[in-house]
This record gives sequence, C-alpha cells and structure tokens, in this order.
Amino acid sequence: MKFSLTLALPDKPGQLLRALEPIAKNGGNIISIIHERDRPIEGYVPVSLIVDFISYQSFKKTIEDLVSLGISILRSEEVIERRRLVFILVGGMDVKRVIESRLGGVDLINIEATMSKTGGTSIKLEVEVPANEAERVIEELKKVTSEQGALLIPSIEV
Amino acid sequence: MRLAIIGFGFLGRNLLKIIWEKMSLIREIDKDFLIVGAANSKGYIYNGDGLNVERLITTKDISKLSGFRAEPALNLIKNDLCDIIVEATPTNINDGEPGLTHIRLALSKGIHVITPNKGPLVLAFRELTELAKKNDCDLLYEGAVAGAIPIFSLVRECLQGDKIIRLYGILNGTTNYILSRMFFEEISFEIALKEAQEKGIAERDPSYDVDGIDAACKIVILSNALMGRDVKINDVERVSIRGITQEAISLAKKANYAIKLIGTINKRLEVAPKLIPINHPLCVHGTLNAIHLETDLAREITLVGYGAGKETISAILNDIITVLKRRTRK
Repeated sequence: MKFSLTLALPDKPGQLLRALEPIAKNGGNIISIIHERDRPIEGYVPVSLIVDFISYQSFKKTIEDLVSLGISILRSEEVIERRRLVFILVGGMDVKRVIESRLGGVDLINIEATMSKTGGTSIKLEVEVPANEAERVIEELKKVTSEQGALLIPSIEV
Repeated sequence: MRLAIIGFGFLGRNLLKIIWEKMSLIREIDKDFLIVGAANSKGYIYNGDGLNVERLITTKDISKLSGFRAEPALNLIKNDLCDIIVEATPTNINDGEPGLTHIRLALSKGIHVITPNKGPLVLAFRELTELAKKNDCDLLYEGAVAGAIPIFSLVRECLQGDKIIRLYGILNGTTNYILSRMFFEEISFEIALKEAQEKGIAERDPSYDVDGIDAACKIVILSNALMGRDVKINDVERVSIRGITQEAISLAKKANYAIKLIGTINKRLEVAPKLIPINHPLCVHGTLNAIHLETDLAREITLVGYGAGKETISAILNDIITVLKRRTRK
C-alpha cells in the first residue's frame, strides 16, 4: 500500500534522518522523496514522501511515532493508483445508470454509442477504476451485461 | 525405427509425402527408419520391410491397394509391428475415439505416440502422459495446438527454468479469419462466415469454431501440458463470437483496438472475444494463430504462425525427429 506524506521539518541539520527513522522502523519502503531545502517557510522545510507500507497498521504506527517525535505532518493519505479500462458493449443498456447504481468507485471517462441499421446498439465505454478494483469491476460489469442480454468485450490488458 | 500412420486423411497423406521428401534428413538420424504401416477407417496396409511410399502417395484410396487388410488399425499396434505411431484420426471431443483407444494401446505397449489429435488429449491428458512415463515411451503432440507454432517444444527445450504465469492466444484460425474480414472489409459476421465457408476455412456447422469449443480444447491441453494443471473442457468459460456486430468492430477500430477470440489461462480459463490494441504482438490477422506467454524470467514471449492445414506437418515431423534423436541407438 502506497502512502503520500508531507512533513514540515525544522531547517536544521539531522532533521531528515530523524524523520526517516520511524518509517524504516515500521518497514516502510521509500519510493520517492522531495526535500525542498531551498524553500524554507518560516524556518521549516517541506518534505514530501511516497512510502510503501505492508499494511495500513504500519502506516498508522509510523504516523504515531512521527507525532511523538514532535514532527508536524502537513498531509498524509493513501495513494490510490487508478487504471483506465476500455470495453465494448454489444446490445443496448443504460450504462450510466448501471455504473452509478452498481459500480462504486468507477469514474466514467467516455461513452460512444452507435446504432446499426437493424437497431442494435454498440457502446464503447472508457472508465477509470482504482487499480486493485479492476477485476471486481469487470466481474460486476460482466454480470450486469449478461443479465441484460448484452455482450461485454473487455480489453486483453485486464 | 518403424513408423505407422494411423488415420490417412489430409494430414496423414501429406505427412507421408513430406517424410518421403525429407527421407535423407531423417535417415541421417536413424539409418534404419522405415514407414511400415498406414491405416484408415477401413483397415491398414503393412510391410515390415517398408511400404512402397510412392505408390501410397499417388493412390486415392489405400483400401484398393493389394495387401490392404480390412482389419482394425488396432491390430497394427497390437501385434508389435511398429515402434512409433502418428495418430492422425479425426478429432472427437465427445469420447476421443478412435484415437484414444489407439493411443492407450500404443503407450501401454511402449510404442511412441505422436498426435495432432486433440480429442484424446483433452479427455485423458493426465492418464496418457502417466502411461507414457510408466512405459518409458514418448507422447508428443506439437501439432494438436496452434498447428506449426512450436509452443510445447519451446517450453520443453528453451524455458526449462521458467514458470509460466499467464498465457493468452489466438488459437483458432477460422474465427480469426472471420473477425479479420469484419475488421478490414467492414462486413457483418454472417457475410464473413459465409465467405469463410465458401473458402473451406469454416465448416458447414461452424459452432465448433465460432462458439469457442476448438479454442477451449486447446486451452485445456496448454493448461495441462505447460502449467501442470488437471483441467477439463467444462472448466473453460466460453463466449461465442456470434454476437459481435460490425458496429462493435468499427467502434473498437476507431479506438485502435481489434476484436479477437482470445483463449486465456490465468486464475481462470476462458475463451472469449477481447479487445486487443492493434500494435500488440498478438494482434495478427487472417488465419494466423498467435500465443503470448508471460513467464517469471523471460517475461513476455509471443509466437505467431499458421494453426491448421499443411503447416501442421512441420510440427508432426519435428516430433518424429525428436523421438528418433532421443531413442535411436547409435
């Protein structure tokens, strides 16, 4: 699980090392670190980190340890990676309603529909979902489309 | 070694022709190599000193040749008349017969088996591979999946330390032809199918291909052979391509995708129409087949080739040479 953290460290030597200790102690793997030493604000330097923790608990424990060291945390949140998925749907259905009512966490990016001479509808659907939810979304979409007698064609990448 | 061809249809006949053409290459490996038998559904012809191949190739119906015995092909296997059989009878995925009985008997007698026949492999893969192992003989089936594409040989010889994580492929040339025509010519499924039937690419009853049964058989063999699973045809989810409209293909095309019938081995086994980016190595057209492997070490490998027809002889002949190299005493 990746987390984004922004700390405000006093502009004094050794502060960064002090702040990294609780992260290391709790098994955090630092993916990126931006230390803006040349832009201190009222004697504090903002440090932005992306850290991979094995669990939410180890992230929480790190925050507690940082607070107990007197380090101020400007921002902390989970980084949710999103994936774009493309589908073609053959057969008519109210896609927008289905997404709103049945598929939580899905952002509809683009819909394109065409109708054949015989009245059949084909829809191209582009959605964005949290990366770890992609499989669930596809399964749910498959279920809904088959309930409605439509055919779902997902991309090979998922 | 003495070879017999069981099943003397399109593949059997063409195989015999190619073996004849390549005889000097084969005899470099096994100087005693002989074709001693050929069988069709009516009986077989046998000569322990080697058949007159030229006569066989030019004869339309081998049952009319002198020396033809109207006895089951099983007798060729039963009476220790050969060391290798090529089992090329028609695929039957309901009970695997007559191929299954031929292969079972051959392996139980220690006769090496080479087969492009999917039926017995789909129905009894584990049983047959164990029987081969027990009797110290080879069971090779390169021609059974994706024709000339050397997928089993590649994994057996060149990816011995790799673990295959995922596999997906275009495993049926007929559906690829239909979907390619729909993609390029913007015609309907019905017209593309009719065209494929007229060209002899699709059968009059196209369900075996278009409903994904053929591709599902191949997924079963690939899963069992390459990934150590023990799955049956009913474990493969199938979605037909019958529902795909020309509009759906045009919409996909506009977004730089093609729609292909893809067989997938992942957590689940599936044969279903999927969108493939047109620049993906798997996105091949016409009657071509393609297999994309994901492994722990090599990461990604794609193989492309012809999945049916005369090209399959390449796979069968390579299997024969493999057995000869392994088993011929120098």
